[in-house]
Amino acid sequence: MDNESPKAPSVDKFQLVPEFLKVRGLVKQHLDSFNYFVRTDIKKIVRANDRIQATRYPHLYLRFLDVKVGEPSLITDGSVETISPQTCRLSDTTYAAPIYADIEYTQGSPDNLNKVPKRLIIGRLPIMLRSCCCVLYKRDEAELAKIGECPLDPGGYFVIKGTEKVILIQEQLSKNRIIIDTDKKKNITASVTSSTEKVKTKTTIVMEKEKMWLELNAFQKKVPLMVVMKAMGMENDQEVVQLIGRDPRYGFLLMPSIEECTKAGVSTQAQALEYLDKQAKGKHPMFNNMQAEKESRAFSILRDVLLANVPVREDNFRPKCIYVAVMMRRIMDAILNKDAMDDKDYVGNKRLELSGQLISLLFEDLFKSMTTEIRIAADKLLEKSDKAKKFDFLTILSRDTITLGMERTLSTGNFDVKRFKMHKSGVTQVLQRLSFISALGQMTRVQPQFEKSRKVSGPRALQPSQWGMLCPCDTPEGEACGLVKNLALMTHVTTDEEEAPLISLCYLLGVENMEHLSGEELHTPDSFLVIFNGLILGKHRRPQRFATALRKLRRACLIGEFVSVYVNEKQCCVYLASDGGRVCRPLVIADKGISRVKAHHMKELKDGVCTFRDFLRNGLIEYLDVNEENNAMIALYEDEAKLETTHIEIEPFTILGVCAGLIPYPHHNQSPRNTYQCAMGKQAMGNIAYNQLRRMDTLLYLLVYPQRPLLTTKSIELVGYDKLGAGQNATVAVMSYSGYDIEDAIVMNKSSLDRGFGRCIVMKRYVAVRHKYPNGTKDRLMRPNRARNDMQILDDDGIASPGEIIRPNDIYVNMQSPRDTRSTGSTANLPDSAYQSSYSSFKKCHGGEVVDRVVLCNDKDSNMCIKVLARHTRRPELGDKFSSRHGQKGVCGTIVQQEDFPFSEKGICPDLIMNPHGFPSRMTVGKMIELLGGKAGVSCGKFHYGSAFGEKSGHADNVKTISKTLVNHGFNYSGKDFIYSGITGCPLQAYIFMGPIYYQKLKHMVLDKMHARGNGPRTLITRQPTEGRANNGGLRVGEMERDCLIAYGASMLIFERLMLSSDPYEVQVCRKCGLLGYYNHKLKTGICSYCKNGEKISTVKLPYACKLLIQELQSMNIVPRLKLEDA
Amino acid sequence: MDPLPEPVSYLCGDCGVENTLKPGDVIQCRECGYRILYKKRTRRIVQYEAR
Repeated sequence: MDNESPKAPSVDKFQLVPEFLKVRGLVKQHLDSFNYFVRTDIKKIVRANDRIQATRYPHLYLRFLDVKVGEPSLITDGSVETISPQTCRLSDTTYAAPIYADIEYTQGSPDNLNKVPKRLIIGRLPIMLRSCCCVLYKRDEAELAKIGECPLDPGGYFVIKGTEKVILIQEQLSKNRIIIDTDKKKNITASVTSSTEKVKTKTTIVMEKEKMWLELNAFQKKVPLMVVMKAMGMENDQEVVQLIGRDPRYGFLLMPSIEECTKAGVSTQAQALEYLDKQAKGKHPMFNNMQAEKESRAFSILRDVLLANVPVREDNFRPKCIYVAVMMRRIMDAILNKDAMDDKDYVGNKRLELSGQLISLLFEDLFKSMTTEIRIAADKLLEKSDKAKKFDFLTILSRDTITLGMERTLSTGNFDVKRFKMHKSGVTQVLQRLSFISALGQMTRVQPQFEKSRKVSGPRALQPSQWGMLCPCDTPEGEACGLVKNLALMTHVTTDEEEAPLISLCYLLGVENMEHLSGEELHTPDSFLVIFNGLILGKHRRPQRFATALRKLRRACLIGEFVSVYVNEKQCCVYLASDGGRVCRPLVIADKGISRVKAHHMKELKDGVCTFRDFLRNGLIEYLDVNEENNAMIALYEDEAKLETTHIEIEPFTILGVCAGLIPYPHHNQSPRNTYQCAMGKQAMGNIAYNQLRRMDTLLYLLVYPQRPLLTTKSIELVGYDKLGAGQNATVAVMSYSGYDIEDAIVMNKSSLDRGFGRCIVMKRYVAVRHKYPNGTKDRLMRPNRARNDMQILDDDGIASPGEIIRPNDIYVNMQSPRDTRSTGSTANLPDSAYQSSYSSFKKCHGGEVVDRVVLCNDKDSNMCIKVLARHTRRPELGDKFSSRHGQKGVCGTIVQQEDFPFSEKGICPDLIMNPHGFPSRMTVGKMIELLGGKAGVSCGKFHYGSAFGEKSGHADNVKTISKTLVNHGFNYSGKDFIYSGITGCPLQAYIFMGPIYYQKLKHMVLDKMHARGNGPRTLITRQPTEGRANNGGLRVGEMERDCLIAYGASMLIFERLMLSSDPYEVQVCRKCGLLGYYNHKLKTGICSYCKNGEKISTVKLPYACKLLIQELQSMNIVPRLKLEDA
Repeated sequence: MDPLPEPVSYLCGDCGVENTLKPGDVIQCRECGYRILYKKRTRRIVQYEAR
């Protein structure tokens, strides 16, 4: 029993989670990446392109010395005022900060040069809320309230022209790494997507017909790999074999490739280059003719395109040769041993691209555009020689390129960056403010980049490596199922880290530089290759020691906390990674199975003596990424730790994300139910933010009396769902009642509805703008004509006043527009006759809405903008949708008087009745435990917990203890009650399972959906009824309905539906030629225009669409003829 | 026609001061320069249905 757990009392490590979230926030990944951009990346970009030089006069230049992003502010007619996100939302402006640049530029002639330093604004950068540039950064609750911001709002989005935009996290395959895969023909390939500041290329080595080939875009077709090796100066086949490894099996596999090379007659570098030159594609944009003449094209391709991430210094191709050799070796390993293949779906092979990276790409493109614009403008101005003396760079500086480019890209979501060959659309989305959780859930969503519609299951399946990193429950149903993912609660996404110091550290720790090694030495049996961010550094003879040394340094915070060290025994490699976009999570470090975090540490944390950061700094906790997790032995609980355990999980419920965290007892539910709830939680109505009543969204759903769930989880408290809930605790009786409860329908208590259960507010925004026209005229607001019935709610200024009740078709802004907006003339005092009415009215409204607020502001063209918010309070009605937190949705089937409702001995009457048939097939045991826990909670007066997997650590109450509480308070231990029928007053035959369950009201309401039509609008070309509720359209008898009618034989019904009630039309048909004629109203006869007479004309009724088809065919030189017969 | 109407006043979104606007005025608080104004609640008596 020496493998038994080392005895140590378990420490409750839960407190670490809130501490972690306190330093991190819920959307730290977004904030971190944006902060990184603002603090480091923007400076790097500007430094890399810092000089603008006039082509003709090289002494005239402009140099960017430094850039800085200022405070978000607006500059209006010279005065600077800082702006808050809330004002930006209300006044439809962009929350952006000026980018200050310190520049230095020259003036005058070469001998009398005048250097002028200056600080100026080169554009405005939209600022992410709560980032380090934001006015909300590090503010406390009171200060935030003063700014008009909700303290629970996570930030991490932008405000562009008044709308909140999120840049979704994009999932990509990792760059600069070798990935072994099979292609369509089942050939084994090794591919590397190289990405450097300059180029992005893809290099693939394929093993086809036992020979190795290189696939590169710059070559017309695949070329023999051995030729490429020769072209890179590796003329000796022996050396190639040595580089790959001495194993005779490798040599055997390589033989055909060597033969292929000899067959091509290539044995020297010159011959190889000549051979490759022929294969090179036409003019590559990167190499202009001048360069191509100097050196061979193939040479430059090999240098700049092939494996672009491996640097070539002074034309030394050896690193590239070694890299190619390693790729070949990996392919051969894969052939000899099938499980050496890489898994593309493995989370360690993925990188998450965050908003900061996307913004930096965009900024780089725009900045380069701006500098070239300036250069071109300067060259144009300097064409005349005398201008050079007076020339001033400041006069041609434009600020709009960056400002407008940023704004446009972020508001449309179309990233069209030609410089980086990037064309993505739908990168940004409008932040969903349906409920607090929907906004949060959107911030943690991870969108896939590669092709979607594939029917393969691989990428959709749950990956074991996503444990703790990506939520296993939260994914949409249907098309994007399994592709769109969500981050787990404790996930962190890394940002780039400085490489150079880490590389030199590696050499100091005993990595033997690859350049000093011969091919023979590279793969000696017990030495491991050291690969840093996909770059081969060299080899190390004692890899484990090297890895431990690096990890010790990391735990001592001497190198970055997110650097990962991963020893791959199979590939004999040590992988180091410091690049951005890796997912990682914190874990408690254990030595020989004993946790480093002790009780006194947790006490210090609780007392606020130390923080999460101190835990990191003291080496108690560290971040592991997916790759390094493979080197760790992680115990779920402290007492399960064995001797070889290296890490201990902090809390098991953190494997779930924010949406799944709301579910009580999710580990008792059937898994798809949790997935359904994750989707539905985002549609639940509730509180949106503390500032919800000061917002002016186009559509806002609120609950009138939202409650905090009786059965909470730890995640609920961490996320803030207990403060901004989206639901109410309803007393539910699980029984059958009235037959209006089949198929998940719910029977509701009318008195509960009177008391406010499920009552919601729908706020809708209406906007009217007072325009100014090019000829100087403008719209005017008119005093209402009090006599008119539709102007009753207007004030003297012609705008509806708050508090008034709206009836359908009431006018809210009584505006008049000038009739003539083009011609220029005297515009000072136009007579009343020159105006026409252009009022706005509440057309599609139900009546009973109230004008909630009216806001006046200026829009960007300084037109007056009037926003009216209409508030509608709705009580639940038949057909409104409700759901519990266990994926059990249902509509309200009937509303019953409380008098008729069943009641218990204690006089408790349920708020709603749910049919017990909902349980057996759904297997939502969690819902039953929620009911029990909730019932115990109300009777003993405390909130019960139901965190995922929490029974062991005490974060979820046991059914046993809950039952005990129930018994203590005079209930049955199983939660069943003795119930009387409300109708007869007799006791029911069975005991009824009754208690409180948290119910959500979903946004789908009958009032927004109900639709019927008799006569109505028709489409113009076919004269058939319009489509859709919004256009008051008809209900379609579709193909399948038609099939049914045919099968049934109801031919007259088909005739009626498909023609009489749709688009009947009368045409004149010539019996002789079969063509359509026309009706001559003077002669009162039909005439055939082909036969030029009206002798054989019949009047026929047919659908207008049919007549249209005949005519359209005729226009295409196809003659359909109608043959008439007596029926 | 009606007697000359009183000018309608608006509340500043920042400091809460009452402002009157003439046609053609820029929408801005006279006291603090804030650019969002709210309309005041109706003075008429309204009866809501509270069901």
